[in-house]
Parts: sequence; structure tokens; C-alpha cells
Amino acid sequence: MSTLVRRLIILCLGVLAGVAAWPLAELIVFNQAAFPSYLVFVAVLGAAVGLLMGAFLGAAEGITARIKSRILPGILVGAVVGVLGGAIGFLVGQAALLVIGELALQSTRSFQRVGLPVSRAIGWGFLGVFIGMVEGFRARSGKKIAVGLLGGLLGGLVGGFLLEYLRLLAPGFRLNRLVGLVILGAAIAVFYGLVEKGLAHGVLRVLNGALKGKEYLLTQSRVNIGRSRRNEVALPPYEDLADRQAQIRIRRGEAVLSNLEPKRPLLVNDRPVGGGKAGDRTGGEHRLKYDDVIRVGSVKLFYRVP
Amino acid sequence: MRHKSTAAAALLLVASLAWPAVSFALNLRLSQIDASRLLLSQRVRLYVSVTDDLGRPVEDLRAEDFRVFESPDGERFTRIPRLEQFRPSAGIAEGVSFLLVLDNSGSMYDTLAGNPTEDPQAMRMTHARDAVRSFLSSMTDPKDTVGLVSYNTYYRLHAAPSKDRALVSAALEGITRPSREEAYTELYHSLSRAVREFEGLAGRKAIVILSDGENYPYSEHSGRPHPELGERVVEHTEPIRACQEEGITVYAVNFGAVKDPNLESIAVETGGTVFDARDRRELESVYRAIHEQVAGEYLLAYRATMAPAVRKFVRVVVQPAGAAAGPELSATRFYFSSTVFGLPLTSLSLLLLIPLLAAAAALWLLTALRLERRKGPAALEVLHTRVGRASTRVLPLGTAKTVIGGGRSADLTIAGAPGVKEQHATVVYDKSKKAYTVVSSGEVLVNNQPVKTRVLEPGDVIDVGGATIVFDDGEV
Repeated sequence: MSTLVRRLIILCLGVLAGVAAWPLAELIVFNQAAFPSYLVFVAVLGAAVGLLMGAFLGAAEGITARIKSRILPGILVGAVVGVLGGAIGFLVGQAALLVIGELALQSTRSFQRVGLPVSRAIGWGFLGVFIGMVEGFRARSGKKIAVGLLGGLLGGLVGGFLLEYLRLLAPGFRLNRLVGLVILGAAIAVFYGLVEKGLAHGVLRVLNGALKGKEYLLTQSRVNIGRSRRNEVALPPYEDLADRQAQIRIRRGEAVLSNLEPKRPLLVNDRPVGGGKAGDRTGGEHRLKYDDVIRVGSVKLFYRVP
Repeated sequence: MRHKSTAAAALLLVASLAWPAVSFALNLRLSQIDASRLLLSQRVRLYVSVTDDLGRPVEDLRAEDFRVFESPDGERFTRIPRLEQFRPSAGIAEGVSFLLVLDNSGSMYDTLAGNPTEDPQAMRMTHARDAVRSFLSSMTDPKDTVGLVSYNTYYRLHAAPSKDRALVSAALEGITRPSREEAYTELYHSLSRAVREFEGLAGRKAIVILSDGENYPYSEHSGRPHPELGERVVEHTEPIRACQEEGITVYAVNFGAVKDPNLESIAVETGGTVFDARDRRELESVYRAIHEQVAGEYLLAYRATMAPAVRKFVRVVVQPAGAAAGPELSATRFYFSSTVFGLPLTSLSLLLLIPLLAAAAALWLLTALRLERRKGPAALEVLHTRVGRASTRVLPLGTAKTVIGGGRSADLTIAGAPGVKEQHATVVYDKSKKAYTVVSSGEVLVNNQPVKTRVLEPGDVIDVGGATIVFDDGEV
């Protein structure tokens, strides 16, 4: 799967998340009178939207990496984190409202037009942050957490702001919450993709075999390549590879490829890397340049600009 | 006090009952509803004015004498079980923000009887200025703020609301006689505009407008567009809505015989009242009465109910006891309620489950999606071109030879790349070896190594003048 298809799938999941969250949001809004206070109401609403956004976007990694065993845990973790993110985000938004309200907005009109959308967008931004960071925590990657943080925040803020303003612009439109939630989900997905691309140092494309055409966006500072599904670049169909065959690390701003299993030679541009030298047990290292063709065992990979 | 309070009973705002056996009757007015903190603390604050038939505030009521009800539709009212705050004479305790709005149309420079005059002492404006000064000197509460605005064709802010009364007093002199062009009366527009002066101010807010004539819009009567408003004519409903949204009360003073027909409803619907004044003395007593009434209001705060509605209706019922004992009084007004996420749908339908199920089904489909390449013919795939443009992205390879080059006759044309020859490279199929070989006439890199001729392996990357092409044997 190319990075474009990957991004489209995440976008698709964001849109689906919005569609799925809508009926639940309607159910909660419909029963507003049953809540003891606006604070509880807002927190429950945030948690409900977070639940579905988190669940759907949590499935993204498993689907795009085509690793089924990652899908269900992704959904569950995403749902839990989404609930927390939604509730906490909206309480933070409410706190922001308190500060904004106390400082500047004594006017009902500006409260409605500025204070409310802004504080609510802050709440949606927090929700986005939590959902965006799910994958980063799963992968235990600071870089991915940063991607989620920034992408989720921007997506949540932009999507949330549009969602809130849509309500003000078209108050009579029955489906405005649906459209708003879809925009929110899509915005989180789009910004996650943009930030991911912006923070990636390169893309690895599989050139041959069963995973031909699949692309891996390299955001982490340590990327493992091998047969095991635990690797960032997991290549199970290539049976002659070791579980963890090679690694790309970011060292002083440069991507360095190293062979972890010297039994199998690692070639870059048809030339062996470090192999054969006396006493070299690491299998050698190579500073990657864009357009390098990597070959190890039966798999060939192409390193290109993100 | 000779002024005549003309609080209307026409709308649902004030409903006071006469008490035949006793010489006095009380008036109950819900003068301001402050719902600005509704979403923050669930709290709504009510300013309630209870006056006797002379317009003087009744100050000895207790919290038990008040009952508060709330309704999302104005029909079904829910009793609020408990008041969170009760404060008599709230205006004195908290301070009040007044904005004095003075008519500065041409007729304000006539005599009280409406005749032209050149004697400044006889002019209405002089009476008005004196009355405002006496109002200012009667404002002894340091928490009060006051501002000054005049209007004719134009709206003019002379002093923004502040605690500095001397500033307002000095600003009074800045009101000058209008020219003919300025002498129209944009009453409704000016009232709407005045609402903005309260931005950033909390608590009790009141506009006191002195009017000596009808709304007389410039564009309607001069036949030319207004320099600021253009052709737009402001209706009287506009200031009502603006004041209701912001919780600002309008107290209207008709100075002279000509009255604006809508001023009374503006006042009443915003929780205020209308007064008539004919001269300086009456004007002074009217200002004093307004100040007394506002200062003597009760503040009632309660936790709002959660029923969603654009407008929430509040009803205050007072059962005076003790010295002021009398019949039950009731006043109802509404506030614009903030909604968190908009109003609910009118009904919930099971159809709502469809998007949820559809989204779940789509998610399941996505997880089942197999995006692996199928087995296919051998092909060349152009990943990208540094310069120029490729004629196709994927070119299946037959058994005949395939030409890559810059010319149109090439099978795979890299157009616009100066480094690419007409026929730069050829891929030929060797039947006996069942293999493809690239043969170059120009500079060709395979896996970043320069080659003249080379048997291609699956996944080899061919660089032809900056175009990156992958050889795909079609197998998976």
C-alpha cells in the first residue's frame, strides 16, 4: 500500500468515525434534560464522541500495516483512550471557557460567538491529541507520540472549530452535527497524515514479492526490518529473512542502515555493506541516501523522500 | 413624584394584581436575567424589581417570599427547589452599569413647549444636561459605572462607561447642536449600537434613554443612503433582541409631547419601564426613580434546569408577607439559553442506528481489505520523474522490445527531460532464458549502478535521465 492509499484509508476511518459518533451524540443531546448539569453533560458527550473516534482511528495502524492482530487491540485501546480524551478534553475546554469568560466575555453574544466555539475547539483539540497519541504509545515511539500530539491537536482544533461554527451558521440544519462530526474525524485524520509526513525522514517501498508496492513511512528514530510482525517494517512473506534482519536509525540527522544478521548479506545499490571485513560482527553500516536500493535476502526496498 | 409609570401589562412580562382592600399595590418586574455563566456554573442570576404604586422599591421582602420557576416552552414550569443566592438591594451591593443615551436631534434645541428659541436656558437640551448632572451627583455608590452617548443621524459615544463621573459631566459639554444633515433621529439603531458599550462589563446593566421624538431614519426621510447604515432601516425589534441577549434593561424617558410608538415596548420587553417628563424637575425625579429602582432590586440566583431550548422562560412569583402582605405577584420573562451542542432532534428514530451500523460494517470491510498485488504481466512502473513527465505510469511488457526514450515513438515516453535521448534504452525479452534485459544507448542506471546491458531481476530500479522506473516481473 502506498502512503497515499494509507492516508486515504485513515481519512476514510476518520469520516466513518464521525458517522458512527453521530447517532450516539444525538442520543445524548436528546436526553440533555436527564443530566444533572451542563458539566456532566459536556463530559459525557465528549467521552461518547471520543469513544467512537478513538475506536475507528485506533484501527488505522492494524489496517494500513495489514497486521490483523493489531486491529482489535488498536480499536480497544483507541476506545478507552478516546473516552478519557473526550471527557478530559471537554473538561479542559470548560476550564478554558471559565478563564475566557472571566477575563473578557461578559457579553452573551461574544460568549456564544467566540468564547463557546473557541473553548469547545480546545476541547476537541484535546480529544484529537489523545486519539492521535494512541499509536505512538503502542509503538513506544516518542516521535509517533509527537506526530499524534501535533496532528491530533491541529485536527481537533480545526475540525472542532468548523463543527462549532457550522452550528452557529446553520442552526436549523438538522444534519449539522453529522456534518460537523465527519469534518472533525476527517480533520484529525488529515492533520495526522500531514504531520506524519512532515516529521518522517523517509519512505521505504517494497519493490518485489508479496508486499510489492507497500510503503512504510519512517517516522521513528529506530526502525526494525524483518519477518516478525513486531517490526516497524514487518515482512512476514519473505521467508529467508531473520525475524529482525536490519535496522534504520537516525544518527545526527542521518539515516543509518545496519545489518543485524550478518549471515545474510545486506546490499545497497548492488554493493555489499560492510560485510566480509575481518572482525566486523555487526554486518556493517550504510548511510542511506534517497533513491538507494536496499536488498537483503529476497526482498528489495527503495528508500525515498517522504 | 409626579411621573407616571406606564409599565405595560400587554405582554407576558408584568402581571400585577390590584388589591382592593389596601391602599397600595405592588409591582413586580423581572428586570434582568443574567445567564452568561449558565454553562460555567449552571447559574442564572435574576434581578427582580418590586416597587409600590409610587414606583419606590419595596425592600423588606425575604427569600421565602420568592418562588422561581423555569420552563423550556413557557407553558410547563418547573419549580426551582432552592435559591443559591438571595440579596436585597443588589444594585447597592454590587454596583450598576448605567449608559445614559441622550437625544441630540434638532428639536432638543427648542423650548419645552416645542417652539424655536435662541435662548440656551429655554432649550430642552439645557434641561436634559442639568437633569443628567443631578443624576450623576446622586450616584454616590463607588461601584457604579456610568457612560454617555448621544444620537441623532449619528450615534456618538462621549464617555465609555467608567467610574469617573466627572468625565461624563465634562463630556456633556461635548454634545453640540446638530446641523440639518445630522438632525434626523436614528433611535433604534442607536439603542442597538449602545449595547456594545457594555462589552466586558459584568453584573447589572441598564440603558437610560432620553427621547424627545420618534425614530426618524435618515435614509427613509432624506431619500439618500445613510453615511454609515446605507439603505438599512433598523426596526425596533433589533434593540429588543440585542438587549435581551445581553441582559440589558432599557429605561425610557419621553421628554416632551412627541413619543416614539415603540419605545414603551422596547423598555417593557427588556425588563424596564417608560417614564414621561415635561421639564427639568420631572426629569430629575425620573432619573432618581430609575436609580432607586435599580439599586433596590433583589438578586436571586439559582441552578438552571437542563431541558434544552433556545429560550428558557423564568417566572418569579412573590407572595409578600408582613407589612407588605398582599396578593401574589408574578412576572415571566425569557433568556436566550446557551446550548452545548445545539438543540436535540424533535424525535429519535431507530433509523439513527443505520449510520452506526453502516460505519461499523465499513470498518469491518476495511479490515478485510486485501491490498496485495495480484499476479500479472511483467511491467515497468514509473515511480517518479525528477524532470519531465512520463507518458504512462505502468507499462506492461510484451515479448516484443520496449523502447524507453524522449521521442513520441518510444513505448514509454519521458517528455520534457533534456537528458533523455529519442531512444534511450530498450528492454528486450529473451525467450530461451525467459528474462528481460535492458540495453542502453545513453546513460542508464540500474540500482544506481551505470550499465550498458543488464538482465533485469524483479524489483530492479532503472534510472533513465532522472525517471525512476521499477521492473516488475508480475510474480508475487
